[in-house]
Amino acid sequence: MAGKMIEQERYTCAIGALQSVVAIPKALPILHSGPGCGMMVRGFFERSTGYAGGSTSPCTNFSESEVVFGGIEKLRKIIANSYKILNSDLQVILTGCTAGIVGDDIDSLADEFREAGRPIVTVETAGFKSNNFVAHSDVVKAIIDQYTNIFINDNPVRSEKKTINLFASIPYQDQFWKGNLRTYKYLLEQLGFKVHVLFGPESDGVAEWQQIPRANFNVLISPWYGQSIVEHLENIYEQPFFKFPHIPIGANETEKFLHGVLKFAEGLNVRLDYPKAENFIKRASAAYYEELDNLATFLLEFRYGLPSYVHIIHDAGYVTGLAKFLLHETGIVPKEQFIVDNTPEKFQQSIREDLQSISAKKIVPLTFEPDAGKVQDIVRNIVHEGRGLLIGSGWDKELSREKGFDFISASVPSPYRLVLSTGYAGFHGGLRVMEDIFNTVLASYR
Amino acid sequence: MQKKINLDISEVQPREQRLGTIIAWDGDIEELHRQSNFAGRAAGCGSGKGCRLCELQGPFSQGSVCSEQMVECQAGNVRDAVLIQHAPIGCGAGQVPYNSIYRNGLAMRGHKVENIRIINTNLGEDDVVFGAADKLRSAIDSAWTRYEPKAIFIATSCATGIIGEDVESIAREKQEEIGVPIIPMACEGFRSKHWSTGFDATQHGILRQLVRKNPKKQEDLVNVINLWGSDVFTPMLANLNLRVNYVIDLASVEDLAKMSEAAATVGFCYTLSSYLAAALEQHFGVPEVKAPMPYGFAGTDAWLRELARVTHREELAEKYIENEHKRVLPRIAELKEKLKGIKGYVATGSAYSHGLIQVLRELDVEVNGSLVFHHDPVYDSGDEKEDSLGHLLKNYGNVENFHVSNRQQYQLYAFLQKVHPDFMLIRHNGLAPLASRLGIPAAPLGDEHIAIGYQGIINLGETILDILARKKFHNSIKAHVKLPYTDWWIKQKDPYILARQNKI
Repeated sequence: MAGKMIEQERYTCAIGALQSVVAIPKALPILHSGPGCGMMVRGFFERSTGYAGGSTSPCTNFSESEVVFGGIEKLRKIIANSYKILNSDLQVILTGCTAGIVGDDIDSLADEFREAGRPIVTVETAGFKSNNFVAHSDVVKAIIDQYTNIFINDNPVRSEKKTINLFASIPYQDQFWKGNLRTYKYLLEQLGFKVHVLFGPESDGVAEWQQIPRANFNVLISPWYGQSIVEHLENIYEQPFFKFPHIPIGANETEKFLHGVLKFAEGLNVRLDYPKAENFIKRASAAYYEELDNLATFLLEFRYGLPSYVHIIHDAGYVTGLAKFLLHETGIVPKEQFIVDNTPEKFQQSIREDLQSISAKKIVPLTFEPDAGKVQDIVRNIVHEGRGLLIGSGWDKELSREKGFDFISASVPSPYRLVLSTGYAGFHGGLRVMEDIFNTVLASYR
Repeated sequence: MQKKINLDISEVQPREQRLGTIIAWDGDIEELHRQSNFAGRAAGCGSGKGCRLCELQGPFSQGSVCSEQMVECQAGNVRDAVLIQHAPIGCGAGQVPYNSIYRNGLAMRGHKVENIRIINTNLGEDDVVFGAADKLRSAIDSAWTRYEPKAIFIATSCATGIIGEDVESIAREKQEEIGVPIIPMACEGFRSKHWSTGFDATQHGILRQLVRKNPKKQEDLVNVINLWGSDVFTPMLANLNLRVNYVIDLASVEDLAKMSEAAATVGFCYTLSSYLAAALEQHFGVPEVKAPMPYGFAGTDAWLRELARVTHREELAEKYIENEHKRVLPRIAELKEKLKGIKGYVATGSAYSHGLIQVLRELDVEVNGSLVFHHDPVYDSGDEKEDSLGHLLKNYGNVENFHVSNRQQYQLYAFLQKVHPDFMLIRHNGLAPLASRLGIPAAPLGDEHIAIGYQGIINLGETILDILARKKFHNSIKAHVKLPYTDWWIKQKDPYILARQNKI
């Protein structure tokens, strides 16, 4: 991915996928990298050390000597001693630029520990190889191939018809990942599924990872990142996947998502209680529209100006999900939109079409540009009538002030916002987005 | 005097080579001071075997920090410059915390708040194979068209270091073309075992390419080498009719250029100021104030007197010292009463810890343990008056449990078990969460100037009272959060056991 220069980055390099390990309960990342990598990743994401990650991850802290002579010996000692010092269910070795260029053979080293019965996985995450959107999938696939597969005899492929594996928010890269995953799990359980959520407090940790093969099919909620995981699972376990191409926010898209999953399950003859599932969706939707009615009252009676249009600077899943939601469920019109996740070219057309399906009449201008410094220059020069809203990352706070926009920090890096378990996905997620936007408006109210 | 700083070489010499820096050691400060042999080194024993300070080398380590990060938060925080990271995008992750520090620092000092200006060349696999000279050239062009900065800094990375990218010639070529200083800094993470070399790399570049060569002296200007802290030096030095030139963070390129015009250079932490202050004296004739750091009464008195001597303001200094003693003593007496029987722990950078311990002891807070991230047995000037550890030992006595540990959280657990403090002072991220999980309240010293000078004694005392009030919150965390460490490690009495076994 020899890309162009980047200013104000909104994602990081491959080793940033160490957060996907941090998000698995009691998994231990081990870095074979320079001394700063763990701290860099920790600094990019907020509150991201978790159980034993960030700068506390065991790390070989490459020095000149490892660069010249290789770092395998040092890594061997560090792995061996990490068992003495740290409790963990799974160890994942991630390599940095140094190890990548020097060419250390970490796989053979890992084999030594595997032979001794240690659950250990290696992933190449040299920073120049890819970014964390891509490397997240590499980490997941490596764990499946090098760990899950060991337990395949106890977990027959597609043996549980109502079980699904969920691949959606990338831990930490999506600052709402915990809330979103919890929401998806809850919604899908209400339809009658058992859900392997794999990351975060709702996951059963390594036990759940061992059972990935049992699932009947996979659910991918993403325009592109994570797609190689479900394709891989289709190859090795013949599990088909259902893809929903953006984050379902609010009632329209959440209903569409849930109906989509139900229809997919029906196609596979999964014996769910379909009427019960439909009934759940109806009730959840009714509760949602009761609040939308309250919002309408607020919008109609508020006298001092509300945002009428929005620019979103985010990854593809959020740009599309938020734009659809805002137009249809709050009346805020999406103007120029910016996708800054370095979307591979082969997915760009379908993302454009998905966003364009928002309205038959309106064209929503869309730019793919990972250099957000450039994106800011574009936004700086756009003029529209009315009060504007900008949904972006902490980098955009200054730009919003400059342009007089209302500002919501919904993308990493997010130093101005504390997110603990909030989610934006689903019915409640939509209501939360409304609260965030209109609370910002109310904060400007005298 | 020790070896002269060499500004002719393009890459800074790492700290371990210049000063004999170590990153792991276990003992008390009496012993560390003896082994460091500041005076012996200062006399020029240099690489002689006689005064080698031995380091513990263990077979286990957690992550640390790298020199490049220090460059980001120094060169990247110069107000009208741009920093280019010639690196994969991951090295740019550090921009996030350093932007936050920059913005809040600007606000604290009354400057216009703006985002940090760092451009990352986003190196990919092809670049690592074939080199990325053109990418660097085009990033320099973009830096120029986007910001028209007064200077452009370039930070190297592990990747460019290993592939041997010739950053220096590209910088020279573009400097000629664009006409502003373009300053390469060698700060590969693997180059030095301690990240403070990154401070030196930035300072080296500034000294070589920004500091004015034929200065017009300003007899009332004092360079204050600091970070982002609140402006405590302006009012303090105003009592001596001196003006402050804060460098490097939040400074303008002009502020950096005029360092050679100053009457003196002071610092608040020798870890940070050692290289720049010594080089300004050796190469530009700006006297470095060689004194204990300005913490506690003894340190602040001596620091002010030396500054006054160098700038010929002795009378003003004496008057200020007398008034300040009178002003702060009553409140300090009250604080001592309230802090009676309280035990503190300091986990910060090296010289800064020496200063904080002094202030705690002024407040009669018991300190029997400290963790420092590294130890420099000597500073660049080689002058014994800068022996901060010696000053602490002589004026405030021994610290029994003194550990050098480069942000190794697993060791901190054992350190704290040994000394059982009531609170902790920290400066850098990564360590506080552990303290919290052990039920120990910690004060993150976001404003590093908080403990400086006479008022600093009061400030620190009040901060401690505040954090002690949070004890219950930390106890709840302790009761409910599980540590990742094994029972074997948790029961371990010797935090360096692995290193010692390694030796056998």
